[in-house]
Amino acid sequence: MAKLQSHKCWDKRLRNRRGTAAAALLVAGVTLSGCASSPGSSPSSDSTPLKIGISLSLTGDFADPGKAAQRGYDLWATEVNKRGGVLGRQVELKIVDDTSSPDQVVTNYQNLITGDKVDLVFGPFSSLLTIPASRVAKRYGYAFIEPAGGGPKVFDQHLDNIFFVQPAPVVKGGDVFADYILSLPADQRPKTAAYPKLDDPFAAPIADNVKQRFEAAGIRTVYDETYAAETADMGPIVTKVAAAKPDVVVAGTQIEDSYAEVKAMIQQKFNPKWLFMSNGASSPADFPDKVGYANTAGIFSSGDWYPDSPIAGTKEFIAAYAAKYGGNGNAIDNTSAEAFASGTLVELVAAKTGKADNATIIQTLHSGTWPTLVGNLSWNADGAPNGSYLLVQWIDGRLRTVYPPDTAQHPPLTPKPQWAG
Amino acid sequence: MTPAGAVRGAAFFGALCVVPLLVGPQWVLNLLIFTVMYAGLASAWNLVGGYAGYPSLGHAAFFGFGAYAVAIIFENDVGDGYAPFRTLPIIGLVVAVAVLPVAWIAMRTRADVFAIVTITLLFIAQTLAFNLRSVTGGAQGRSIAPAPFPVETYDRPFYYAMLALLALAMLLSVAIRDSKAGLSLAAVRSDEDKAHGVGVHVTGVKLLVFAVSAGITAMIGGVWAYYVGFIYPQFAIDPLVTIGMVLMCFLGGRATLWGPVLGAAILVPAQQFLAYRLGASQLYLLGYAAVFLIIMVLLPRGILPTLRRAR
Amino acid sequence: MQLAAQAIILGVLTGGVYALMASGQTLIFGVMKVVNLAQGAFVVLSAYLTFSLFTGFGVDPFLAILITTPAMFGLGVAVHWLVLRPLKHEDVGQLSLLVTFAVALGVEGVLALAYETTYRSVQPGYENRSWTVAGLQISEVRLYAFGLSAVMLAALYLILERTRLGMAIRATVQNPTSARLLGVSSERVAALGFGLGAATAAAAGSVYGLLYPFNPGSHYDLISRLLTIVVLGGMGSVGGAVVAAMIMGVGSSIVAALASPIWSDFTFFVVLLAVLLIRPRGLFGARARGAL
Repeated sequence: MAKLQSHKCWDKRLRNRRGTAAAALLVAGVTLSGCASSPGSSPSSDSTPLKIGISLSLTGDFADPGKAAQRGYDLWATEVNKRGGVLGRQVELKIVDDTSSPDQVVTNYQNLITGDKVDLVFGPFSSLLTIPASRVAKRYGYAFIEPAGGGPKVFDQHLDNIFFVQPAPVVKGGDVFADYILSLPADQRPKTAAYPKLDDPFAAPIADNVKQRFEAAGIRTVYDETYAAETADMGPIVTKVAAAKPDVVVAGTQIEDSYAEVKAMIQQKFNPKWLFMSNGASSPADFPDKVGYANTAGIFSSGDWYPDSPIAGTKEFIAAYAAKYGGNGNAIDNTSAEAFASGTLVELVAAKTGKADNATIIQTLHSGTWPTLVGNLSWNADGAPNGSYLLVQWIDGRLRTVYPPDTAQHPPLTPKPQWAG
Repeated sequence: MTPAGAVRGAAFFGALCVVPLLVGPQWVLNLLIFTVMYAGLASAWNLVGGYAGYPSLGHAAFFGFGAYAVAIIFENDVGDGYAPFRTLPIIGLVVAVAVLPVAWIAMRTRADVFAIVTITLLFIAQTLAFNLRSVTGGAQGRSIAPAPFPVETYDRPFYYAMLALLALAMLLSVAIRDSKAGLSLAAVRSDEDKAHGVGVHVTGVKLLVFAVSAGITAMIGGVWAYYVGFIYPQFAIDPLVTIGMVLMCFLGGRATLWGPVLGAAILVPAQQFLAYRLGASQLYLLGYAAVFLIIMVLLPRGILPTLRRAR
Repeated sequence: MQLAAQAIILGVLTGGVYALMASGQTLIFGVMKVVNLAQGAFVVLSAYLTFSLFTGFGVDPFLAILITTPAMFGLGVAVHWLVLRPLKHEDVGQLSLLVTFAVALGVEGVLALAYETTYRSVQPGYENRSWTVAGLQISEVRLYAFGLSAVMLAALYLILERTRLGMAIRATVQNPTSARLLGVSSERVAALGFGLGAATAAAAGSVYGLLYPFNPGSHYDLISRLLTIVVLGGMGSVGGAVVAAMIMGVGSSIVAALASPIWSDFTFFVVLLAVLLIRPRGLFGARARGAL
């Protein structure tokens, strides 16, 4: 009985900081929300808890990011309640498990909205589950702030209640790498490129976008194949990629296949000059653990948050996380940061408008930029964010932002160092 | 069908028809939709796995065919909202006819090998769903246009559609069971070679129930796709759906009319309840496994036959 | 040419490990006419045990086999005793599918509780090393795993051919009634056969963790491959399972490398169906009484 499902739609991006401005707004917003008297509302008389319903994948295939999201939400709830809650109302989260199943997620949001009668909802994990859930929310007029559904089909629905809490739609994950390569002088650029892609709505399109731009710039494609989801054995695929001798490999990966791909490359002693992996390589704790600390050197990826992120609020977030859950900041998954940022958005809307109901949220978030842990966010009418990511690279065992140059923490390391084995 | 049986059936469905008008919260209806859906699936499976004695573990593929059919036809526009329901009979017929060659091949094997062959067919169907991207959308899935039903009564048309399909499955089960085909099936179930030797049209009757079963399963899949609104290959063609159907049939009693319904009525709410309340801890899986094992060991015949024997 | 050769090498090495897992599965079927849907779960369980032994005590995975194999043998016997023996004889065929699936779910649940659902793999440091022979890369770990499988399969062969237990098992597979008449305790044989099947899963599981990342849900994918191998080789035939595993390993590797990786599993299933059409009992299976 093969459960052929491993769609860990892990949308990890980075973003450029507008540090002080963001920090100032954040602090201001937080302070303001503590003051209950805002124009045109009477929140001080309403001290019932603000119930927020969330369906998360706590078991099943998406359980790891699901639990990371839970930690992010819980942390936000704790922190905001310490400051007096939202508009004077203590935040109460009702988190239920959808076992990573779309049927269950539909049931859950129905239950949350019509049974438990929550005030607000946040999105579940992955675009897979976000799409059916967002329809339920739309039907009842609920805003749908969601940290993990960034695939193109989410925005193709043209629903006005969706807000994807990441800097850009997921398919733009590789564009910043293309920016970097194409910024190099022509004689330093790669001549040939390979595109091994996972059959996944987030992995393959990222590589395809890069391929379009590379081919337009004259970089020849020597390998372009999609491999099935749940491919545990990347050996044959890497064999073929290596045989094509590409200068740059743009790998549309998710998590497990990224580890397997790196290991296969090491075993087959194949080391391209540039290696970009759309996912998996941006996890600060797991990646070095799975492929070997020294083997990470030089691998590119992109994301929206990592523990060394330069975005304002990161240090406070890490400190609060460590205080609540223990451990050092290095193991924090960016899903937690994205979940935390979802809560921040509610706070900011409340601070600005004095209200925190669904109609207000839907109306307010469609204009302006909103500073969060994952960057300054703004959305178009379909809920797709308007920003872009930052290119990160593994240097000396840590992730560093390397492009664009004005926000880089370190210049890019090329060519890719040899595998350590 | 005896008069008593007809009265029972009428009362049961009559009650179920009235429920949406009485019950307020939408989530109850949501739960009922899934319960009735699985009752229909289990009843359809019962034709092949219960009455014919061929445990098909690949039925989820037919569910998926129906789902994709609806998704492909109704991607952009559902007219007044009832168009998908009207096309269901056609989908059912097409699938029923299309599976005949497949069924013929598969039913050349017996019991365990048959089960494995049907699982294999399921994987093939799932792989096709992933790979034929121009048709199925591949891993990105396909969407179905939202139904223009008013929000207060949104779930009702889906509920009644599922109810109608359950009624169809049960009526067909009764019709087949009480006919000569039913006798032939009983013979096939006990000892196929002897039946063949005695002159029973073994192949014909097996193919008949397989086709009917597949057709109904496909129709239910179509309604499901319309209800959920967005389908992916691994959920439209999901081995766990098959396991659900099979388990409910076993629990209630194979080759009985009401067994599958009873099984679904117990397991679907239990599963939803477990997931909603206990899901956060991994005990959910263990609970499921424990229920499984207890049923198998204590009630190998299923509830209804055990009760009947006890009388 | 180089590409094909490399693919073949990979396929052979992978096939060996699958052969070991599948041999246990087909043995269980031969002895008890039970399709053990928990075989994949046993492999994963053993992979986790090996992982714990390695990360907790520093035991090398290949040495851990000495611990996991007897442990899983015992587990197999226990599972049979508790769960399969109580089933009435005429229900065994159909119910065993569901019962063993329940066992698989239970194992998955326990593992998820104990280890959470993060993907793990066993990394003793040498897992990425490879030798270069005539321009082809041969992964060290895969070669060791293949060697281990060969050794374990040889051991299995010796048990089946040279020990009394083995003779009793083979007798039961060939003709259960006669075996019982000759004094073979079919229940004991069934229990020990199941234990042996689980033991092969244990050995394979220890190396599985070295080759692939795994989590509690990995057993679904495994069992689908094992089932197809077992049916292709012929249910009950250990030799058939080995041959089928090699065919599968090499076949899917070649298709993945030379054609498109997406279709590699698919072609395998199609080949399986074709074989079943022509020869329903698989390559080496015994003709089932009553079937075509």
